[in-house]
Amino acid sequence: MAGISTHVLDTDRGRPAAGIRIDFSVLEGETSEGETWRLVKSVVTNADGRTDQPILAPSEAKVGQYQLVFHVDDYFRDRPGTAEADIFIDNPVVRFAIFDPAQHYHVPMLCAPGSFTTYRGS
Amino acid sequence: METSALTRRSFTGLGLGGAAAAASGGVLAQTGPTSSAASGKPAPLTTAPVSQAGLGPRLTLHAIDNFHGTPAAGMVCDLAWREGDTLTPIKTVTTGANGRPAEPLLTDAALRPGPYELLLHLGAYFAARGVSLPSPNFLDRVPIRFRIRDAGQRHHLPVLFTPWGYSYYRGS
Repeated sequence: MAGISTHVLDTDRGRPAAGIRIDFSVLEGETSEGETWRLVKSVVTNADGRTDQPILAPSEAKVGQYQLVFHVDDYFRDRPGTAEADIFIDNPVVRFAIFDPAQHYHVPMLCAPGSFTTYRGS
Repeated sequence: METSALTRRSFTGLGLGGAAAAASGGVLAQTGPTSSAASGKPAPLTTAPVSQAGLGPRLTLHAIDNFHGTPAAGMVCDLAWREGDTLTPIKTVTTGANGRPAEPLLTDAALRPGPYELLLHLGAYFAARGVSLPSPNFLDRVPIRFRIRDAGQRHHLPVLFTPWGYSYYRGS
């Protein structure tokens, strides 16, 4: 298995975070003016906090820089019992590299209104 | 037990007795042949926790290197105001030996409510310490996005990281 996958967990409630939009982009260029990211696709997490299809299929994996933006603000705002004033993380973004296309990159995201964690998972 | 040779990792198993010994003399601070500023490795850990309770509105950062088990000294961080994908640079800071910049990132009137991004130069940090990593590394420049909602409050931003992951949260 190669490619990219993710899993979004709501560690505040101890359950998967469903219905979160994730924007997946690839770095196309970088100059002194800044970076150019190209949006590849937007997906939404299912009831298990995962995406129905891989973020990036094995056949499409290439060495490069990638980005996942997790739109958790709406999720927290719509969640019963969450005060907007307590939402500290702000639609967090994870930028990471595929350095070996033969490997799989599982990039989980654990979140609560006031905290964020990501890591190379498995 | 030879306390002078204890590492920080073994310190956690000592419980209250170890904590009391550390408070009294600091003899349990990280030691060992691998810790040397000259070799680019983190220095022995001798800093104590800092409480900011009661201080005025400010944004402070504390960077912890969970790979070496030390504060992250000498990490470059770019603070910016963020509107969508547009960043307006505010300042660039470098963390000191205790993992904190010398000054708060923002204080008082400079602390505005809204969205911010702090870019950590994590790849450069580990490269400077001679950590062998893939090229390109999994994590290089790490964006930390957060929102100040009440500028009248004190905001502490701890960031815990390794070459393979990181956490941040609203601290105290």
